Amino acid sequence: MNTNNADLDLLKETRMGFDQETINEIIDNIYHYLCKHKEYLNGLNVFPVPDGDTGLNMVLTLQGAIGQMKKNKKNYTHSGEYLEDFAEQMLLNSRGCSGVILSLFAQGFTQITANNDFSKENIYRAIENGYLNAYKGTENPREGTMLTLMRAFKEKYAELMHMHDNPLMIMQETIPYLKKVLDQTPDMLPVLKQAGVVDSGGAGFVIMLEGINKELSFYIDSGIPIQKLLKTGRSIQKLLKKRISEFHKNQSASSVLNFDISKIHNRRLAEVFQNAKILLGNLHLNHNGNGKTINREKIIEDLREIDNSWNPEIKEKFCTEFILETDQIKNKDDLKSKIANYGDSLIIVNTNNKYKVHIHTNKPNDLFEDMSCYGTLLFTKVDDMKKQHHNFISEDVVDYDRDKSIFCIVSGKGFADILKNLGADDILCYGKNKPSVNQLVKKLNELKAKNIMAAADDSDILMALKYAASLCKSNIYIVESDNPISLINILMSISKDYDIHTTFDTAMNNLENIRYCGIAQSSREVLAEDGSTVHKGDFFAVYEKKIVLANPSKEKLLIDVIEKIAANNSLVTFYKGAKVGNDEQLINQLEEKFPQLEFEKYYGGQFNYLYYITFE
Amino acid sequence: MSKKIFIIVGDNLGLSRKQIDYDALEIVKFPVFVGETEYRQSEEYNANWLISKYENEKVVAKSSTLIHNEIADVIERNRANYDLFIHVVMSSGLSAASFQAAENVRKQYEKIVPVINVDSRQAVNGVGSVLLGIIDLIKTNPDLSVDELEAACQQIVENTFSWFVLPDLNYLYKGGRIGKAQSLMGSVLHIIPLLGLMGDEKEGIVLAQGKARTFRQINDMIINQIKSKMQEKSVTTIKRAITLQGYGDKNKEVIAECMEKLKSLPCNEIIHGEGGLVDAVYCGPGAYGVSILL
Repeated sequence: MNTNNADLDLLKETRMGFDQETINEIIDNIYHYLCKHKEYLNGLNVFPVPDGDTGLNMVLTLQGAIGQMKKNKKNYTHSGEYLEDFAEQMLLNSRGCSGVILSLFAQGFTQITANNDFSKENIYRAIENGYLNAYKGTENPREGTMLTLMRAFKEKYAELMHMHDNPLMIMQETIPYLKKVLDQTPDMLPVLKQAGVVDSGGAGFVIMLEGINKELSFYIDSGIPIQKLLKTGRSIQKLLKKRISEFHKNQSASSVLNFDISKIHNRRLAEVFQNAKILLGNLHLNHNGNGKTINREKIIEDLREIDNSWNPEIKEKFCTEFILETDQIKNKDDLKSKIANYGDSLIIVNTNNKYKVHIHTNKPNDLFEDMSCYGTLLFTKVDDMKKQHHNFISEDVVDYDRDKSIFCIVSGKGFADILKNLGADDILCYGKNKPSVNQLVKKLNELKAKNIMAAADDSDILMALKYAASLCKSNIYIVESDNPISLINILMSISKDYDIHTTFDTAMNNLENIRYCGIAQSSREVLAEDGSTVHKGDFFAVYEKKIVLANPSKEKLLIDVIEKIAANNSLVTFYKGAKVGNDEQLINQLEEKFPQLEFEKYYGGQFNYLYYITFE
Repeated sequence: MSKKIFIIVGDNLGLSRKQIDYDALEIVKFPVFVGETEYRQSEEYNANWLISKYENEKVVAKSSTLIHNEIADVIERNRANYDLFIHVVMSSGLSAASFQAAENVRKQYEKIVPVINVDSRQAVNGVGSVLLGIIDLIKTNPDLSVDELEAACQQIVENTFSWFVLPDLNYLYKGGRIGKAQSLMGSVLHIIPLLGLMGDEKEGIVLAQGKARTFRQINDMIINQIKSKMQEKSVTTIKRAITLQGYGDKNKEVIAECMEKLKSLPCNEIIHGEGGLVDAVYCGPGAYGVSILL
C-alpha cells in the first residue's frame, strides 16, 4: 500500500465492499474459543480462591464488545474501521486488569489497521503499537505478565517476517514460541512461582492468538478507513493549498469526490467536507474551476479551525479561582504584579480588602501557597481545563448537582451498607462480576458530581476505573485501594467538611491503617509463604498479600490466625463473606478462647474471601 | 489603680469551686430536669447521681438556660464593690439562649456597671479553660482597660481547644447539642466518635474530629490532634490542660491511658477536672476528654 498521501488514498477504498456478517462470525468464534478455556484461566489465579476470574474477565470483555457491536447500526466500509470500533467497545466493556490490558492491545493494534492495510509490515506496526499502548496504559508494568507475552509476540513476529509474506503464517509460527515464554513467566514473577502457576493473563493472550489464528486462516480482508476525519481534513488542506492545475493530476482529489458524507456525524465537519467535495468536483468537471462558487481559502480556514478546536493547545492547564482577604496588598495592580507570572487570562475583582481572582495556571497550589502569605484564602477552586475541553468536545453536557462525591465500588452488599453508613456518598455494589469500563463511566456520570473520589475494593478494577475516569465528565480522583478494609479506613479518616484535595490526600495516607487478613478455601494445591503445601480444600489465610497460614480445619486456622496476628490488639472484627453460613458457634468458641479480646462480627457479603478479619 | 473585677460563670465548666483560685467569682447553677423535676448541682444531685440514673433507670435528662434574674442578682449583690463584671458564657453556638440571657443582663446594667460577656465557644472543661485563662490574665495584667480586656479574653477563647469522647452520642443528640457531629451517629459498624470544640472556629458548635474503632486509636488521635494544633499555632508548651472524666465507672482504663498519654505532652499544668450535674446530661456514662489553652 502506498503510504504517501495515505489518508486520501484510503478514502478511495470506501467504494469497496465489506462483509460485516463474516467478521462478526469470526469474532464470535474467537470469543467461543476463549470461552472454552475460561475455567482453565480462572484456575491460574495466584491465590486459589474459588472465584479466580481472569478467564471470566476476558470473556466478559469480548462478550460486552460483541453485544455492543450488534446493537450498533453504523454502516462500516471495511474491516479496519469495524475492528477499530470493536476495540473501543472492548475497552469500554473491559473488566479486571486482564480485560483492560487485552483491550488496550486491541486498541493500539486496530489504530494501525484502521487503514485496512493488513500487509505483514502493517500488522507488525499494529502489534508494536498494541504492545506499546498496553504497556503505557498499565500502571507499574511488570515482567512475567501479559505484557511480556505481547512483547515476545512483537519480537518473534519481527524475527519471522522475512520468511513469509502472509502475516497469518507468521503469527501461526509465533504461537509455539509464545507458549515457551508463557512457561517461563513463573521465573520472572516470584508470586507465580510460589503459586505454581503461569500468568493467567499471559495464558489468555496466547489462547486469544490461537483462536484468531484458527479463525483467520481462511480470511484476509482488504478495505478502507474513514475514522481519521481530522487527519484527512489536514490532507485536504494540503491539497487545496496546491495549484489548481495540480488537482487534475492528483488521484487523491478524486478520492475525496467519492467520500460518503453521510458517514460524518459531526455536522460542521460534514459541511466542510461537503464543500471540499463540491469544490473538487467543480474543478474536475470543468477543468477550470468555474463551477459553483466555493471559497477554497474558506475551506482551508474551516478545516484548520476545526482541527484546532479539537486539539487546542492548552498551555496553562488549570482554571483557578480564589478569594483573598488581605490588608497587605494595596490594590488590584499590586496583586496583579504578584501573580501575573503564574499564568494567563487573569481577572481580578476587588471589594474592600477582598480580591476575587481568576487565572489559568499550571501551578495552582504554588499560587495558593504564595497568596496565603499575604492574607487569608476564603475560597479556592481549580478546574482541569483539559478535562473540560474533553467534556466540551464530547458534546455530552452534564449538569452537576453537587461539588463532591465519595464513591465506593464494592463486591459485598454488607460492605456496601457499612460504607454508606460511614459516609460514602455513592456505592456501586457489583456482586460477583467486576464492573466494565462502560458500567463505571455510566455510574460516574450518573453521580452528577463535579469532583469524585473513587475507590474500589479490588485492584483488578483499578485499570478499568482509570480508563472510565478518562472518559468521564467529572474530575475523578482515584484512590488505589485494593480491598474493602481500605475503604473502611478511608471513610474512618475523612470528614464531610474536607474539600476534594484534602479528602483525597487523607484517603491516600490512611489506606493501611487497619491490619487485616483474608480467609479462603483453596480450590487447588498451592505453596504457602513458608514453602509448605496448601492442599485443595484447605483453609488458608492471606496476610499482607501472602499465604501465611493454612489448615484443613477452619476453626483451627482461625485460632492460629488470632494467636499469631492479633497480638497486642484489643479488637478482632469478622466481616463474613457471601458464602458463609451460620457461624455463631465458631465466633463464640473464639470469644471463649480469647477472653482478653473483643470480637465484633458483621456481614461483608464479599465473594472472594470467606472472612476478612481486622485486628485493631 | 487596678480594677476590681468580679467573674460570673455557669456550672457547666468541668471544675469545682475549690479548683478555681479566684475569690471574686460566683458559679451560677444550670437547672437540670429529669422528667418533670428540676434539680441543681448539690452534694446529693451530682454527675454520678445522674449517670447512675441513666444506667439503671434509663431516664431522659435535659438542662435549661441560666435564668436571667439569677445572673442579674449576682451583679446586683456585688456591683457596689466591683468596677467590672466578666461573665464567661458557654458557646453561643451550643446555646444561643444562654448567651442571650447574659446579653440581656449586660444591657440591663449598661449604664450602671460594665459587663463583658465572653462567648467561650466552649462547653464543660473548655469553659473552665477559658475561665482560668481569664483569671491568669487579670492577675498578670491588672491595669488593662475594658476594651483591652475584652480583646485579650477573645484571644484566650481563640486559643482554647477541647476534645471529647462520648461513647453514646444520643445524650448529646437528645440535648440538641450534636451539631456537625450528627454525621457520626447511627453507624452499622461500631465506631467511637471524637468530638471537638475548637476556639478558632467562629461557629462554636460541636465538630466531628474523627472516628475510630478502639479507644486506644481515639486516645492516639487526641494526642496527635493536640500536637498538630500546637504546631499550627507555633506553640511549644501547653499553658494548661483540664481533663474531663469520671462519669461513672465505664472506660476507667482507657481514660487512665489517655491521661497518661497527655502527660507526655509539654504542659505547664494539668488539672483533673470535676464534671458537674449539667455536664453529665450531655456526656453520658464513660465520657472523657481534655481541653487545652495554648
